[in-house]
Amino acid sequence: MELTAIKDAFDRVTKKQKLSNSKVQEVFDLIDKEIKQTLQKLQSSNDRESRIDCKSVLADLKAKLKDIAPLSQLESTQKELNLALSKYPKIVEKSFVPDISKAYRNIDFDTHTVNEIIGSHFYRQGLFEVGDCFTSETGESVSALAMKSQFQELFGIVDAMKHRNLEPALNWAMFNSDKLKPNGSDLLLKLHRLQFVEIVQKGNRDRALQYSKACLAPFASNHMVEIQKLMGALLWTGRLEHSPYSHLLSPANWDTVTGELTRLFCNILGQSYKSPLSVTMEAGIRGLPPLLKFMNVMAGKRLEWQSMKQLPVPVELDREFHFHSIFVCPVSKEQSTEENPPMLMSCGHVLCKQSITKMSKNGTKSFKCPYCPSDVNSAQCRPLVF
Amino acid sequence: MEMDSLPNGTAASPGPTLGPAPTAAGPPPSSKLSHLANSLKLEHQFLRVPFEYYKKTIRANHRVVEKEISAVINGVSEAADKNDMSSDDAVNHLSSLVSRLQGLKRKLEEGSKTEHLQAQRCRARLDHLESADVESLSEWNNTRVNRILVDYMLRMSYYDTAVKLAESRNIQDLVDIDVFQEAKKVIEALQNKDVGPALAWCAENKSRLKKSKSKFEFQLRLQEFIELVRAENNFIAITYARKYLAPWGTTHMKELQRVFVTEFCKLYGMTLEPLLNIYLQAGLSALKTPYCYDDDCTKEDPLSQEGFRKLALPLPYSKQHHSKLVCYITKELMDTENPPQVLPNGYVYSSKALEEMARKNDGKITCPRTGFICNYTDLVKAYIS
Repeated sequence: MELTAIKDAFDRVTKKQKLSNSKVQEVFDLIDKEIKQTLQKLQSSNDRESRIDCKSVLADLKAKLKDIAPLSQLESTQKELNLALSKYPKIVEKSFVPDISKAYRNIDFDTHTVNEIIGSHFYRQGLFEVGDCFTSETGESVSALAMKSQFQELFGIVDAMKHRNLEPALNWAMFNSDKLKPNGSDLLLKLHRLQFVEIVQKGNRDRALQYSKACLAPFASNHMVEIQKLMGALLWTGRLEHSPYSHLLSPANWDTVTGELTRLFCNILGQSYKSPLSVTMEAGIRGLPPLLKFMNVMAGKRLEWQSMKQLPVPVELDREFHFHSIFVCPVSKEQSTEENPPMLMSCGHVLCKQSITKMSKNGTKSFKCPYCPSDVNSAQCRPLVF
Repeated sequence: MEMDSLPNGTAASPGPTLGPAPTAAGPPPSSKLSHLANSLKLEHQFLRVPFEYYKKTIRANHRVVEKEISAVINGVSEAADKNDMSSDDAVNHLSSLVSRLQGLKRKLEEGSKTEHLQAQRCRARLDHLESADVESLSEWNNTRVNRILVDYMLRMSYYDTAVKLAESRNIQDLVDIDVFQEAKKVIEALQNKDVGPALAWCAENKSRLKKSKSKFEFQLRLQEFIELVRAENNFIAITYARKYLAPWGTTHMKELQRVFVTEFCKLYGMTLEPLLNIYLQAGLSALKTPYCYDDDCTKEDPLSQEGFRKLALPLPYSKQHHSKLVCYITKELMDTENPPQVLPNGYVYSSKALEEMARKNDGKITCPRTGFICNYTDLVKAYIS
């Protein structure tokens, strides 16, 4: 983002602030010096018993301080500082959207529900202490706590993997092997492979051989090529990094397996891979700019906005945010419904039923497909289910 | 001859092959950049709040300087104008002024230290915004979620969680915990039926509240009066007031807390609603489709969860100008890369999913939703525009 102008304006503020501070210091020193000097004069005159007219000394000081005119000296720097201080927020306001709540619909979110969502979010992000603090501070019921123990197990496994300890991961994968199978996952093999490579790397060939017999052999029927490669690596025990198999050592292998394990773990729990709160916020951050733009242009429509059934503008989300098939008829621009389903025409193009009815004059005549030269008979169109 | 054919040949060959490649690999970076720029524009409060805080400190410090310096000068004038001042008196008087200056010096040093820290915080925010980059966005986005959560905690008075979350993610400079410390004092006092700190806050921000025509102080005074009436019990009128006015006390205190929060947020340039609610609402609308409430809604959709569904209920559905087709089997987008294919029963799946199924089952296709069985060769392509 282009922040140079804003940064410059801010630098001006701090510069003026420093200038003003040093001016204050300067004035301060002047006053301090004059008063201390006068004080000294009075004190020394006392010592020597020579009587100085203290009234005239004080009058002198008063006149000197008046000459310094400390407050009016401060005025000009202060004025410049104030100018910079009022200019900066204006520049910021110009480059940003000053009030993002313009696209907010005045409804009260149920605090309990929101807190429950946040509590679960903390636990599933592994922020267990923060989550505990939050549940105790809000005094919410503990339905989010169910997430805690489940995700504590996951983060225990992931943490151990970070320290190259595969035991918890292997235990979990073996315990859940019957649930992993329908997912078509070979996670167990991948974990064993990591373990095997660790042993080979450490230089213990006998142990590696033992391990492969015990743990890799059961996979031989389905994963022959994979296992042959691993056996080849056995020849390079202790110096794997100089072998053609050095890619087996890449730390990226650990990351992919950790990612896959996390995905499967969430899947088995019936949870999404990404925190639903994060996903929704990300969608919100994408959705707000076009909405705010609309609100600005259609300032008169703010009342209607409070009761609209559908957003007035489309929000372009990346593909990972699309969870459902939405069919928009290219002719009528309407979303399909049960009563108005998408229909496949003989040429392979798809329109909504109502559009076909209209173009065929209620099915009385054939019409030209809007996208190709084909002639379409409405009786031959059939509904689609996405 | 060669000179002529060479540039022609090289120009022609990479043209068509390179041309379509970038468009096929997802949205071009320029759209990502503009999305990022648009999202950064939402961060007004992020810069504004620490700056207001900084400005407030500068102003307060300067007021102290002005007050102290004029006090010292007046002290000197007073002494000079007095007629019967002995030399000892004068020495004592000046010494007290010197020690007063000493005190001011300490305040100046402290003041400029705080100003410096707050300026640093403002700059840290600018740097953080500048560090947002398309390449490494996911971590930045995570921080943003955490910032928004801290904002929510602070507004809902969950201070401990706010501090804990900020510390554990190391984002203290990016959240406004210290600003809310000021609010915490007032709100807690109001909860205990003490309007003192709130009145002090009004006095501190008198000119700005006046400018925005705030009624907060009046309401506080009224409340104080009610509290006084409640304490007295001699006259019937007061009994009456007790009976009919005092019951307002508890509800009014809540109202006062709300009014205070509104004024407080306005003063610092914050939105009145927690940021979380604003983003959550926009996000829920952007994600909401009629299909989200179906039983077979995928787990990855936040709207498959009860809590999210409940929050989204009063919100509008998303709007689409173009079809977005998601394969029922693979959950992948069906587009020109992975076009949709139609089974004879009208059910549609992605080419990828169907090819994979045919490969595994000797060319046989089984519709996962109806159990209908057909051959791969029976499929037809659908063209979606």
